[in-house]
Amino acid sequence: MTKTLHASRRQFLRASGVAIALPTLESAASANDKPAQPPVRMVCVGNEFGMYPQSFWPSETGRDYKLSHLLEPLEKHRQDFTVFSHLDHGLKGGHFAVHTFLTGVKAQDAKAMPEGGISMDQRAAEFVGSQTRFPSLTIGSESGLHGGCRMSWTRTGTRVPPISGPRELFRRLFVNENEVAKLAASDRLDLQGSILDAVLGDAKSLSKRLNPNDNQKLDEYLSSVRDVEVKLSLDRQWQKVPKPDATIDEPRDEGLTKDLPKIYDLVALALQTDSTRVATLEVGGSFAASDLGIRKGYHGLSHHGHVKESVKLLVQIERYQVEQFARFLEKLSAIKQPGSDHSLLESTMALFGSGMGNANSHTNHDLPVILAGGGFQHGRHLSYPAKSNQRVPLCNLYVSMLQRFGLETDFFANSTGTLRDLELA
Amino acid sequence: MSSWFHLPSVSRVMLIAMTALLIVTTAFADSPNANGDSDGFANVVRPFLATYCQDCHGPEDQSGDRRFDQLAIEIDSDNTLIDYQDIVDQLNLGEMPPEDVDQPSDEVRQKVIDAITERIAAYHESNRSVSDQPILRRLNAREYRNTIADLFQLDVTIFDPTQKFPRDQTIEHLDNVGETLVISGHLLARYLDAADQVVTKAMGSLEPPAVQTWTFKDGFRQQPEIDQVHRKTNRFAHMTLYDVIGADKHEGAYGPILDFAAGVPLDGIYEIRFQATAVNREHPYDPEFLGTDPSEPLRLGIRPGNREVGNLHLPQPIEPLLAEIELSDEPQEYSVRVHLDAGYTPRFTFRNGLMDARNLWSRLIKTYRDQFPKNLKNGIVAARYNAIALGELPQIHIDNIQIRGPLHQDWPTASQRALFGKDWDGTLTERDEEETRERLSNLAANAYRRPATEQEVDRIMSVFRTRRAVGKEWHQAYADAAKAILCSPGFLYLEEASSAGPDYGLASKLAYFLWSSMPDKELIRLAKSGELQDPKMVRQQVVRMLNDPRSDAFVDGFLGSWLGLRDLGSSPPDRGDFQAFYHYNLDEAMREETTLFTRYLIDENLPITEFLDSSFTFVNRPLARHYGMDPPEGYEFQRVSVSDPRRGGLLGQASVLTLTANGIDTSPIVRGVWLLENLLGTPPTPPPPDVEPLDPDVRGAKTIRDQLEKHRSTASCNECHRKIDPLGFALENFDPIGGWRTSYGRGKPIDASGELRGGVAFNNVVDFKKVLLERSDQFARALTGKLLAYATGRPLGPRDRPVIDGILETTELQQHRFADLITEVALQL
Repeated sequence: MTKTLHASRRQFLRASGVAIALPTLESAASANDKPAQPPVRMVCVGNEFGMYPQSFWPSETGRDYKLSHLLEPLEKHRQDFTVFSHLDHGLKGGHFAVHTFLTGVKAQDAKAMPEGGISMDQRAAEFVGSQTRFPSLTIGSESGLHGGCRMSWTRTGTRVPPISGPRELFRRLFVNENEVAKLAASDRLDLQGSILDAVLGDAKSLSKRLNPNDNQKLDEYLSSVRDVEVKLSLDRQWQKVPKPDATIDEPRDEGLTKDLPKIYDLVALALQTDSTRVATLEVGGSFAASDLGIRKGYHGLSHHGHVKESVKLLVQIERYQVEQFARFLEKLSAIKQPGSDHSLLESTMALFGSGMGNANSHTNHDLPVILAGGGFQHGRHLSYPAKSNQRVPLCNLYVSMLQRFGLETDFFANSTGTLRDLELA
Repeated sequence: MSSWFHLPSVSRVMLIAMTALLIVTTAFADSPNANGDSDGFANVVRPFLATYCQDCHGPEDQSGDRRFDQLAIEIDSDNTLIDYQDIVDQLNLGEMPPEDVDQPSDEVRQKVIDAITERIAAYHESNRSVSDQPILRRLNAREYRNTIADLFQLDVTIFDPTQKFPRDQTIEHLDNVGETLVISGHLLARYLDAADQVVTKAMGSLEPPAVQTWTFKDGFRQQPEIDQVHRKTNRFAHMTLYDVIGADKHEGAYGPILDFAAGVPLDGIYEIRFQATAVNREHPYDPEFLGTDPSEPLRLGIRPGNREVGNLHLPQPIEPLLAEIELSDEPQEYSVRVHLDAGYTPRFTFRNGLMDARNLWSRLIKTYRDQFPKNLKNGIVAARYNAIALGELPQIHIDNIQIRGPLHQDWPTASQRALFGKDWDGTLTERDEEETRERLSNLAANAYRRPATEQEVDRIMSVFRTRRAVGKEWHQAYADAAKAILCSPGFLYLEEASSAGPDYGLASKLAYFLWSSMPDKELIRLAKSGELQDPKMVRQQVVRMLNDPRSDAFVDGFLGSWLGLRDLGSSPPDRGDFQAFYHYNLDEAMREETTLFTRYLIDENLPITEFLDSSFTFVNRPLARHYGMDPPEGYEFQRVSVSDPRRGGLLGQASVLTLTANGIDTSPIVRGVWLLENLLGTPPTPPPPDVEPLDPDVRGAKTIRDQLEKHRSTASCNECHRKIDPLGFALENFDPIGGWRTSYGRGKPIDASGELRGGVAFNNVVDFKKVLLERSDQFARALTGKLLAYATGRPLGPRDRPVIDGILETTELQQHRFADLITEVALQL
């Protein structure tokens, strides 16, 4: 089963990998008359330790709910987002299940899944293919408790290596290589192409010597070669297209707490310049509470044991994260789609949440989840059944999001359909 | 509290097996004698199960998800095997039937054990099929880096071509399981980049490098925060180090030479000469207040930095300790030689310096108000200035720095000879096709750990020709072809049996087991000559390999895969509660203790029971203080005898106690599960799906014991937790970083007593270790299983049991000595 999917993915990438659309820069777009529908974008933000439930969940549901303390920073955008309660993946494992936020599947069980435990953002990135310079951008770090948030996963069950900070993100988005470097890069692409030809031959002759089980293992290698071939041809094509001009200076890396606003700004610019349509932000690793003037550690505070003082500081950290997300929404809503009256927020689905439900008890149920923008009807607190036999999988929301993104799919991981009550505007 | 949800695959297999079993065996339920019963197996075992087991594991109740009334009479599949093995293990341990029900006589018990054991052996005998597990596995990042180092004779202290690889997935802590080590497009793209870096580095400079000298005499700025003070106090005449690098917000933790920020131009050995002074070793303040020991000489460290990575006055991801020097209190000149990679600059650090100087400035003035002028301004700027200018804090001054190198470079370099061939003369003249082919073929054979096939060399040559065709010079085209070798499956995967015969595969398996790297010339020679087929030769090689320093990679890799030691530090202790951890670099010290201890067991071939309790260990001064032991002389690690019975063995080592806590608090469950999984080899089954998790509430007087007791009052929880919790409680006197404690604070005393199933009671960890020693057979089996899994790169299944039994039978005569055990495991490869 996995094999056929691999094959279809290859065909798909082959088909879409060659034709490259120019990025819809504002300047370029204004030359066109009326662009068709603006492309849909997806931004997923997740943290390591969740949101303190008592301060996160609103007590009322529906349209007239009162914003909770942790949702207050989003007041201005109240009509632009929905908060969902009682959604999760039905998984356990505490810190060891946080990485399932966008996959719905634990990494060690990914093999058994039809789509290999791919994360939602990467599923969307596959769909974008060659249409943008970066099929997706994942920003985060390998550090953090038990490896950190680890949100983006490939079909083969490996983690997408994250971009480590605003400086590297800026360089990738905006810094063009000089002519010498460009030539060298182009030469390197040629070399890598001929290396791939050679090693593909090696793999094929090796495959004749192997038993069926080992050949399955080698298939991973073969499909990786093809993935990289596609990537090389993309790189080659995009090399000819200059990167957009930067409207800000190159930022410094100062640790995630201070970097968070800078990263959001860069993500907004990446969407605005159509450098990518999929971005994922892992708020883990180097998020230091000390940069908020808090003397205690973030992880320690998440083990608050219901001690008031600890809860207060924990909520302060979490509120800062919501504030930055709110600032990001503000930014997106201020950016106009090229050639239209619509804002970037209207075409950007911005998901905010965590794979951790309650850090004090290490549970991964009732995950905190907010979805903003993207052209859905918002402004509500949607509560789903809490009873174990009636629960709605969080993956249903992901199916709705993927469909909105343009994918013709009716499932994702352990979904049972699209998310009911979530309608397009 | 969560690591144990991370289900080891064996128990997952067992659960699936149980389900399958129920379906399969229902067919036999109507006619229990369908299989016939010639030798009385059913007559002995069946009634026993009915009498002593089926009340809890029968139609009414299926405790622990086990049901025996429907168990097949024949062992006809791995599923049934698992159940019978489990039954016999429980009977052997005396854990079942539980002590509160009717017990069989010893004679009956033994008869059943014998009957089942015999039947299991017969099953194994009839199932000696070739393993159907995948055996192709790729190198993990650790192995890749070591292999690159050996293949190209590269110093990898600083150089890490795997830095951007996606992190390898582990299973049951094992980082070398073929099934889990996946190659993705992301990884292959990084293999291409890494190959480029590696070959470029191996090729190095094309001309013999000239030795250069750089001298720095003044203008020693360090970092903006303290520069303003130093401008006034010494006009940057020298560097001043205050903090240790474990500080939170560093002030004067690093002494970078900012005039040398671009670093050295070439890889190589460099001599660093400088003048240094240990200032204020003896100071007027309370040593407790500063947390430094005035009797210790101040110690200087040298670590590399790279300005491309970030600020040179702050920590960087790659900054191994290159040198350490004890300083005299008088100004004196020092000289060290260190390896530096191109682009890296040396940075000075203070090994036993102050902690969090940024906070200390004002604390010092507040605490010793009378020693500072009155009416000082408030704020960090004034506090910093006055504490530095008027205080007498311990600090290191450095000036007159001279860097010279690269030194002692052979020409051509060892790496160039590894790349181009050992007869390489360093001239870059064009070589003909035949010579090129031969050189590349030799390199490929080294890289593939077996002769390269003609077709493989053809393909490498085609890369070479393509590169020549686009105008590359000979040496550049050669290097590009070498990069292809590093991306080939021949290099990246370990093959069981190559086209060149199985002996090369064995040489590789031995090398990756004991060195986590490629086989050396000797192993390859033995593979080629066929001598490796002789088990005596394998024994001889294991001895040789364990004596080689490369076997440190085994200690490192195996401790990571057995105890999870590589995770130490992945859940950092709270800075407020455990400042010592950061001030004295305890995590490095903890890791070192367990590593040296294990190394010693190998070198001296000691019985593995030393892991459970031991009369010696290895400590440095900070770790000794952490344990409340007398600190040894000097700053290096020393073997010391352990007179405190609480500390001997792994369970007294801070590494294990820290990695089984989460940095904030301890959980008897986590530690109990860790013990069951790693020391006793009996991982508990996972909790039922609808179990209510603990929501720690520390507001009241509740201790973890109270909470768990409540938990255990539920029958379904008690089933497993009476097995788990007591083990963890035995370690409750150890805090989250392994320090000894007698109360949880606020007058809540610690009770480390417990009772194991079977009624064995203990009062504390000292008693508990005696209980463990009585179960050392179980420990030996668990450790052997871990070694075998690590050696073969696959998690074990029920069919591996006879192999483990065989190994244990051999090593038992000598009390299971560790090096013996490793040797016997190697013989199974």
